[in-house]
Amino acid sequence: MKILQMELRRMMKTRLTWGLLALALLLSALLAYLPVTYCYSSYTDEEGNEIHLSGLKSIAHEKERQANASGIVTPERVREAVETYQACLAAYGVTESYDLPEGVYEREILPIVPLLHGVKEAFADPDTGMAPALMEIDPERIDDYDSVCEARIAALMALEQPDHPAVQRKAAEMYRQVERPFKVYPGMSSVIMDYQNIMGFLVLLFCVVIAAPVFSADYQSGADDILRCTRHGRRRLGVAKVLAALLVSGVSFVLCAAVYILIADSLFGWECLRTSVQMMYSIVTLADLDVGGLQFLFTAAGLLSVLASVSFTLFLSAGCKSTVASLSSALVFGILPVVVSMAVPGALSTWLCCVLPASGTSIQASILYAITDFQFLNLGGLAVWTPYAMIGTCVVEIPLFSFLAVWSYCGHAGK
Amino acid sequence: MELVIDKVSMRFKDKKAVSNISLKLTPGVWRLLGANVAGKTTLMRIIAGILKPTSGQVLYDGVPIRTLGEEYRALFGYLPQEFGFPQEFTVKDYLIYVAALKGMTKRQGRKRIHELLEQVSLLEVRNRKIARLSGGMKRRVGIAQALLNDPEVLVLDEPTGGLDPGERVRFRNLLSEFVHDRIVLISTHIVPDVEYIAGCHAMIREGKLLASGTTEELVRLVEGKVWTCTVPAQAVAEYERRLRIVSLRNEHDGSVSVRYLAKKPCNDHSAAAVSRLEDLYLWMFPQSGGADRKKSSRKQAVSGNL
Ligand SMILES: Nc1ncnc2c1ncn2[C@@H]1O[C@H](COP(=O)(O)OP(=O)(O)O)[C@@H](O)[C@H]1O
Ligand SMILES: [Mg+2]
Repeated sequence: MKILQMELRRMMKTRLTWGLLALALLLSALLAYLPVTYCYSSYTDEEGNEIHLSGLKSIAHEKERQANASGIVTPERVREAVETYQACLAAYGVTESYDLPEGVYEREILPIVPLLHGVKEAFADPDTGMAPALMEIDPERIDDYDSVCEARIAALMALEQPDHPAVQRKAAEMYRQVERPFKVYPGMSSVIMDYQNIMGFLVLLFCVVIAAPVFSADYQSGADDILRCTRHGRRRLGVAKVLAALLVSGVSFVLCAAVYILIADSLFGWECLRTSVQMMYSIVTLADLDVGGLQFLFTAAGLLSVLASVSFTLFLSAGCKSTVASLSSALVFGILPVVVSMAVPGALSTWLCCVLPASGTSIQASILYAITDFQFLNLGGLAVWTPYAMIGTCVVEIPLFSFLAVWSYCGHAGK
Repeated sequence: MELVIDKVSMRFKDKKAVSNISLKLTPGVWRLLGANVAGKTTLMRIIAGILKPTSGQVLYDGVPIRTLGEEYRALFGYLPQEFGFPQEFTVKDYLIYVAALKGMTKRQGRKRIHELLEQVSLLEVRNRKIARLSGGMKRRVGIAQALLNDPEVLVLDEPTGGLDPGERVRFRNLLSEFVHDRIVLISTHIVPDVEYIAGCHAMIREGKLLASGTTEELVRLVEGKVWTCTVPAQAVAEYERRLRIVSLRNEHDGSVSVRYLAKKPCNDHSAAAVSRLEDLYLWMFPQSGGADRKKSSRKQAVSGNL
């Protein structure tokens, strides 16, 4: 306990740690604000003036326009929205909403847009996956919206995983468990989640940088010979170093995530968190979550991923003779999921991204995209949804690599 | 209390750094003497438990130190030959950190740190970053950390390297206060270094133990092999070529007094001399001329670098 305290103090004494933590917090706040600057809307007021709004004003304006759409997404309301849409376009004799005269879209369509989310996708062609135009949908079929959606997920999985009936069954079963009817509270877009992902990725890299020299710096400076010959200089010091690094990075991540979520949710409105993920992402998303739940799950999984990456980094650090070696190898593994998700094709990429410790909050390959995607690992007839696999591997990797780091440190014979 | 080095060998890839060394260390100051690359550091790292010997083992009171583990380290103090410090520490913070690792309580630690800082004259710089200290000061910080827990087994690898003459004297005094009833092992490649506080000596060359024992025991090994004679100055060069000379001394009358090693006297005016440790080293390390010294340098013949 005392040694852990000493290790923590030692870690916090390094300027690098402080600098990176301060930077991480600052970036979290900045990233949380950034999506606001992309919000933009324009409309024509009663006197015919064109008004342009941006930032928070635009958010407030759109929320106000879409206030009537918010709430429970019953089939009746969706049908009503589709009918309104079709009637509006028919009245102006157009087939696409962007052919509507100036101001009509903002006045007639914008207020019902949240309810129209996912309708086209739900009616996509089962064989080709092509979505129809809203004008082509028969509103009567929406009365049985749930069955339409369930048919859609079945068709999608048959298309994506034709050789794995177990996966198809599993997906259909998961989707049946999703709470219905969906809810929608307009005002927040998935960009918020994307930026949380970037925030997580940056904090992960910072934590890796902080953890990389934990063992190797002492090897490099020659301080290790003295320290490992002290009474508690072996296992206990190793454990204390690992715990201190995990603690510092865990707390940093939680702090940054808290700052991000507090700022982003305050700016975009806390009520939006009750929106079903199906009304923000694909209508057939398998997760039974609302946006708040997604945010929480993503944060928790991000934390696990950061801890797994840090313990893996410590393992590398305990085996490297110089800080340059440990830092560069740790960064390679921190960035690897990004590369793998972009450069490696197919199932191999899915597998790698589930196994690599940093993939929980990596760009592209994060657990966020895994939750909103339809990937499964095929484990000999057993279909494992990739988010579960990612969380599972992190949970295994944290103690495994921590143990290996201590073990490697204890057995390290200098120079 | 005894530390037994039992048939210890250490092989690095194709290089044998320590060959089958057996040595029983009893309380007292032991001097491990050997030229560079003789294997001193390797042997000490094995005694410190940092290196695992290729064969053989080290036992403390009959128990292998690997088995004792933490228990052994609790009574062990070590100053490596080359070492560094964590960059972020000041002198005092570093010693507090090491004291915690040595299992000392905060109060014990603080008291002992103050004492030691005073003894190694680092009190004024205690709040300075170690990275900013001179080489000699850094070594003194190293000495202080080794002594923190009042170890029963103290291993110092070339502790006087980098110390200036004044610091060496203070180090010797500090050590002689400390050594009572402890096993202290000091390595050096300088013949007269710490000679007088060491009661026992072990000499190694190329990883092998040549001789070990108390000063008296060792001196006895060269008894009857040390001679002195006085020769004219111009003949010295001739003598230097022929004999194993321990030392030369200029006399007032211009002649030179020569101390040399031989089984028999080389001329009839040689007198037998009382043997000293210095003679033994030259006897043991003949091809290096007793030392790393250059044969022609008279000064080094006396101060003898091994
Ligand atoms: N880690 C190592 N790897 C390979 N060779 C080593 C290692 N450590 C020491 N040696 C070799 O062992 C020999 C003895 O070195 P050392 O114990 O440092 O001698 P000394 O301390 O007496 O100068 C040297 O030849 C050295 O090169
Ligand atoms: Mg050495």
